[in-house]
Amino acid sequence: MELNKKPLRIRELTAMIFMIIGLKGGDTTPALFADHAQNAIWIVPIISFLFLLGPFLILMHLLKKYKNYNLIELIFHLIGKKAGTLLALLLFTCGFIAMFTDMRNVMEEINYLYFPNSPTLVIYVIFLTICILVANKGLETIGSLAWALLPVIIVTIIAVIFVDLKEAVLVRIFPLFGGGVGTVLFEGISKSAAFLEIFLITIAYQSFHQTKYFHSGIYLGGSLSFMLIVSFYAVYAMLFDYNSINNIAFLYQEATEIVALGHFFTNISTLFMVGWMFSNFLRFIIFLYLICWIFGAIFEIKRFEGLLLPIGFIAMILSLIPPSFVVNEMFFRERSLQIMTPIFFLFPFLLWVASYWKDRKK
Amino acid sequence: MKKLLIFMLLLQTAVLLSGCYDRKELEEQAYVISIGVDMTESEDVFRFTFEIANPEVGSAVSSPSTQEPVQEVVSVLGTDFLSATSAANVSVAKEISLDQVRVVIVSEKLARSKKFIHLMQTAPSIIDLKLNSQLVISKEKAEEFIRTNKPKLESRPHKYFQYMLDRAKETGVIPEAPLVRFFQITEGDADLFLAPFATTKKDPKEEYGAEDNYKAGEVNIKGGNSTQFIGSAVFKEGQMIDILTGEETRFSLMLDTTLPQQDIIANYTDPLRPGFDLAARVQADKVKVKIDYKPTGKTNIDVYVSMHMNIFAVPSTQNYMINSKNRNILHASLQKQLQEEGEKFIKKTQEKYKLEPFYWSLHIRSKFLTIKDYEKADWANKIYPNANVRLHVKVRSLEFGKLLRESDLRKVRD
Amino acid sequence: MFPWQKKKKTEAVAKQKNTKISRSLKENVAYLEEQYLYGTNFDFNSKELRGSTGRYHLFYYSTIIDTKQLNEHIVTPLLETKRDIPVPRIVTLSSLSSVKNMDEVEKGLSAGCVIIFKEGMSEAFEAKIDDFKHRAVEKPENEKTVKGPKESFTESLPVNISIFRKQIPSKDLIVENISIDSRPTMPVSLVYARDLVNEEILENIKKRIKKITASNIRNIEILEQFLEERPASLFPTMLYTERPDNAGNYIMEGYVAIIMENSSSCLIAPITIWSFFHSPEDRYLRWAFGNFSRLVRAIAYFITLFVSATYVAITNYHSQLIPIDLLLAIASSRERVPLPIVFEILLMEVAFELIREAGIRIPSPLGPTIGIVGALILGQAAVEANIVSPIVVIIVALSGLSSFAAANYSINHTLRISRFLFIFAASMYGLLSLLGAILLWVAYVVSINSFGVSYFSPATPSNRSPRDTFFRMILKKEKWRPGFLNPKDWDKQ
Repeated sequence: MELNKKPLRIRELTAMIFMIIGLKGGDTTPALFADHAQNAIWIVPIISFLFLLGPFLILMHLLKKYKNYNLIELIFHLIGKKAGTLLALLLFTCGFIAMFTDMRNVMEEINYLYFPNSPTLVIYVIFLTICILVANKGLETIGSLAWALLPVIIVTIIAVIFVDLKEAVLVRIFPLFGGGVGTVLFEGISKSAAFLEIFLITIAYQSFHQTKYFHSGIYLGGSLSFMLIVSFYAVYAMLFDYNSINNIAFLYQEATEIVALGHFFTNISTLFMVGWMFSNFLRFIIFLYLICWIFGAIFEIKRFEGLLLPIGFIAMILSLIPPSFVVNEMFFRERSLQIMTPIFFLFPFLLWVASYWKDRKK
Repeated sequence: MKKLLIFMLLLQTAVLLSGCYDRKELEEQAYVISIGVDMTESEDVFRFTFEIANPEVGSAVSSPSTQEPVQEVVSVLGTDFLSATSAANVSVAKEISLDQVRVVIVSEKLARSKKFIHLMQTAPSIIDLKLNSQLVISKEKAEEFIRTNKPKLESRPHKYFQYMLDRAKETGVIPEAPLVRFFQITEGDADLFLAPFATTKKDPKEEYGAEDNYKAGEVNIKGGNSTQFIGSAVFKEGQMIDILTGEETRFSLMLDTTLPQQDIIANYTDPLRPGFDLAARVQADKVKVKIDYKPTGKTNIDVYVSMHMNIFAVPSTQNYMINSKNRNILHASLQKQLQEEGEKFIKKTQEKYKLEPFYWSLHIRSKFLTIKDYEKADWANKIYPNANVRLHVKVRSLEFGKLLRESDLRKVRD
Repeated sequence: MFPWQKKKKTEAVAKQKNTKISRSLKENVAYLEEQYLYGTNFDFNSKELRGSTGRYHLFYYSTIIDTKQLNEHIVTPLLETKRDIPVPRIVTLSSLSSVKNMDEVEKGLSAGCVIIFKEGMSEAFEAKIDDFKHRAVEKPENEKTVKGPKESFTESLPVNISIFRKQIPSKDLIVENISIDSRPTMPVSLVYARDLVNEEILENIKKRIKKITASNIRNIEILEQFLEERPASLFPTMLYTERPDNAGNYIMEGYVAIIMENSSSCLIAPITIWSFFHSPEDRYLRWAFGNFSRLVRAIAYFITLFVSATYVAITNYHSQLIPIDLLLAIASSRERVPLPIVFEILLMEVAFELIREAGIRIPSPLGPTIGIVGALILGQAAVEANIVSPIVVIIVALSGLSSFAAANYSINHTLRISRFLFIFAASMYGLLSLLGAILLWVAYVVSINSFGVSYFSPATPSNRSPRDTFFRMILKKEKWRPGFLNPKDWDKQ
C-alpha cells in the first residue's frame, strides 16, 4: 500500500543533483581542467556552465511545454520513433562512456590512496555490487537515501573548505586567466560535457510529486553544485600553485593531506574520505540508475532494474581496458568529452527546431 | 538447521576472506618518525636514516619497566625513499610505515648539491609520506643528527620534534617548511625557500650578540640536549645557497604575507642609554605589499608593516611609561631600528641572492592576465633585483607590561 | 494453512452457531453440561434454582465472576420473587441482556457472565458480573521517565480502555472491536480518533487483522508479528509502548493504537523510525532540555552502531588516520595480545551480549553475581591476562552502555544486531566495505514502509508535519499534524 503517490520532492532532487554533479569538485575532473588552464581552473566550470546553460534552458522549456513526457519520450514525440531511437541511443552511449571512464578514475583513486596493495578489480567488484544492490531499490529509495546522507556530505564539504582555507593563499589565483584566455575558453567549452548528467537527469521529469518541483529542484541543485565546484576549484588553485596543480592527479585528497588540525590530528585526509566515499557511492548509484532507465526507456523495458547488473558489469569490463589511470583520464576521457560536447550542445536545439516545425504544421 | 549451516558458512567465509590485501595489524608495523638523508660517494645513492619509535616506551599499560630503548635508528643506502624503506626492512622485523613521518632531515652537504632536487622529486609520489611533514636542514650529517639528538624531557621522540619546531616557530627564529611549500616555491621558480636549520654540534660564538643573531650551533648553551634549532637554510631553485641567522629569518617571516603572524619576543637597543637593551613582544599585523609594476623602468615595491609592541623589561630603568617625551623618543627609535634592520636585510636579498624569501612574487601576479605574460616579465631575474623596495614600518601601539613605572635604582642604592 | 484444514474448522464453527436455545430447560441444561464437561471441569457451575414462581437454571464459571453480586442481585431476587414477572424485572443488574442461541451463551460464559435459563422460555439471560483477576495499574517498568505521568497499562482490556478514555475524553475517541478468527476467537481493539485517522490506514490494519487465521494469538506481542509486512526484517514497523500517555499522544496525531486483553502494552501503527528514537519525556521536558536529551541519545545511537566497527576499520586498514600518540598507545597495548583486532572486538562484544542476556534471564536473588562476573572477569582479568587490550574494553563498554540509552526496547535489538553486521563489514575491507554496509543499511531503512507510511518520513519523503525528527520544535510552533499519515485534519492549531 502506498499512502502517498510519487513522494519525491524538491529536496530529494536537489540532493541527487548535488551528488551527481556537485561532487565533480572532488574527483579527477579538476585535474583534467588544470592540465592546460593551470590556476584558472576555477574559471573553466563557469565557462562550461555558461556554455551549457542555453541548451539546458531550451530542454527545460520543451519539457515544460509538453507536460507529460520525460527526456526519451520527448525525443520520440518530437522527431519520431526512428530518428528518436538513434538520438536517444547516442545520448545513452555518451552517458555510458562518461560513466565508466569516471568510474575507473574513482576506483583508481580509492585503490591508490587507501588500499594500495589490493588489485583494482576487487575494489571495483565491491563498489559496483553495493551500487547495484542499492540502485535496485528504485528511484524513491535513491532519492531518499541521497537526502538522508546529505548532512554527512555537507559537513565534510564545509570541513574541507574550512581546513583548506587556513592554508590557502588568495593571491595565488592570479594571474587571473592562467594558461591564457583562449586556452581557458577552449577548455571550458570543449570539456563541458563533463557535466552532461544535468541533461540525463531529465529522464526523471515525471517522477516527482509535481513537475514544478522538478524545475525548482534542478535549478536549485544545479546552482548549488555550480557554487560548490567553483569554490572547490578556486580553493585548489589557492592551495597549490599554478606549477604544481597540473602535476597532481587527486586534488581533493592532496588538498586534505597537506593540512593538519593542530598537533593531534596530523593526517586527517582519511577523515574526509567518509563523505567523499558516500558521495561517490551515491553518484554512481544515481548515474547507473539513470543510464539503465534511459536504456529501458528506449527499448520500452518496464522493469529496467534488471539491466543494472549487465550494464554495470559491462561498464566495469570496458573501463578496465585502458592500461592505466593516466591514459584513462588524460587521453580517453579528454577525447571522449571533446567528442560528446557538440552532441549535448546541439540536441536541445534540434528538438527545439522540431517542436517549432510541429507547431508550424498545425 | 539448514539456515544455521548456511549462516555459519557465510560467517566462516567472511572471516577467512577478510583482509587479504591491505589489512595490517597495528603492532606489526614500525612507525618512522623522522627520516634523515645524506650524501654518499656515488652519484645516485643516498644514505637514509630512519628513526623508529618504540611504542612500548612511555605507555603505562605495558609492563612496568621496559629495558628497550626509546627508538631504533636504522641507516641504509637507497636511491629514493621507497627503495630505502624496503631495504631497511632487512633489519627491522616489523613492516616500516612512513605514515607518521613528521620531519625529513637533510644534511647541509646534500642540500647544497644539485642532487637534492632529484631526491625531493620522488617524495610526492609516495602515498605514505605526507606532504605536511617538515623539512629540516642539519649542519652535520643527518644520520649523526638523529643519533646524537637525545631529548632529555620527552620520553617519546616525536614529541620532541613537535614541541621543538613549535617553540622555535613561536619565537620566529625558524620558518615553517612543510614539504608542500618546498614544491610550491621551487616549482614556482620565483622566490627563495627557507627551511629550518638545526645542528647537534656546538660551535659557540664567544661574544654575546642580540639573543637571536645566531645560526644553529652558535648559541652558547650549557647542559641539556645539544640540539639547536635556529636560523634557516636558503634554497634557490631547489638548491641550498646560504644560511640566515635567527634574526634574518624572523624578518623574512614577518614580511611574508602567506604565513600566519605570530608573536615574537625580541631585543632592541634602548635609545636613551644605548648600552642597554629593551625586551619587547612584537605582534605584527599582516604585511601589505603594493607593487607598482613598470615594464621598462624600476619597479616600486612598497611594503607596509604595522606592529604592536609590548615592552617587558627596561633594564636601564628609564622612565618610558609616564614621561611622554621619552615615550615618543622610544617610539621613533624602535620604528627606526626595525626599519633599518629590515632594509638592510632586503638589500642583502636583492644584492646577494638576487631573489627574495618573502613570497612577494604572488603580489605582482595580479598585474598579469596569463601565466605566459607573468613568466615573460620574469620576477626572479628582471624585476626584483632591480626593484626599488621601500619598507614602511609603523609601530601602532606601545604597551608596557604590568608595571606602572620602573623603580628608581638610584634610590635603591641609597 | 492448507485448504482442507480450513474447511474442517469452518464446519465446526457453523454447527455451533446454529444451535438455538430450546423451550425445554432440561434439554438446554443437558446440552450445556455436555459441552462444558460438567463435573470434570471443576469451576464450571450449573445451579438449579426453584423459586416460588418457576424453575431457573444458572451457569457460570465460579472463578471469573463476582460471587457477591451473584448472590445479592441474581440468586436472592430470583428466589424471593412472589409474582411471575419477566426476568429483567427481577434481576436488577444493568448488564442484563437476553441471548437467543448457544453460541452467544458460550461467548458470554467465557466473558464472565452468569447465564440464566427459565423453564419454558426459548431465550436466556446473561448478566455480566465478571471479576477477572489482573494486576493493578502500576508504574511503567520499561519506559521510565522522570517528568510525566507514572501510569502504565495493565493486563486488562477494560482497565486499559478506561485509561484511554481518561486520557482523551472525547466522543471522537473510538474503540472498535474486531475479532481475530483464531482459536479461541480473540477480540482486538483498535483505538483511534475518528476525526483524525486516515481511513485507508485504518482499513489496511483491519484487513490485516481479519486475514489472520492462525490459532493462539492471545496478546499483542504475538499479534505484532502477524500484522507486520516484513517479519524477518531488522526493523520493527509498529511501536510497542506501555505508557498510556505516549499512546494518547500518538492517537491525537492520527495514529491507531491496537490493544488486546492480556497485554500490558499497546501497539501504535503506522510508525516511522523517529518514534523509536523519541521518548515521551522529550515532549514533557522544556524545549532545550528535551532536545538536549535527544542529542545525547542520538550520540548514543551512533556510538553503539559504529564505534566498534570504526575501530576495526581504522586500526586494520587506515592506521595513518590515528594520531601518533594514540597509535603508539594502541600498538603498545596490543604488543602481547594474541588475537587480531577483529576477534578481540568480537570476543568482547559477545561477552557483553552474554552478560546482558544472562542478566535478563537470571533469577533476581542471583542477580548481583552478574555484576561481579562481568566486571571482574571481563574488565580486569582479560586485560591482565593479555587476552584483550584495555582500549578494546573501553570501546566495547562504551558501545554497550550506549545501547542502553535506546528509547525503545525493539530498536535496541536492531541496534545490537546491526552493530555486529557493521563489525563484520569493517573487517572485510575497512572503510570501503563499512561505508558500503552503512549505505545499504540506510537504503533499506528509507525503502521500507509501515502500513504505507515511509519509514524515514518526514525527513524524506518530506511532508507538512511537526518536523519532529532529530530535534523537536517549540510546541507552539508545531502547526501541522504529521502529513505522512494523511490525517483528516492537518491543522493542529
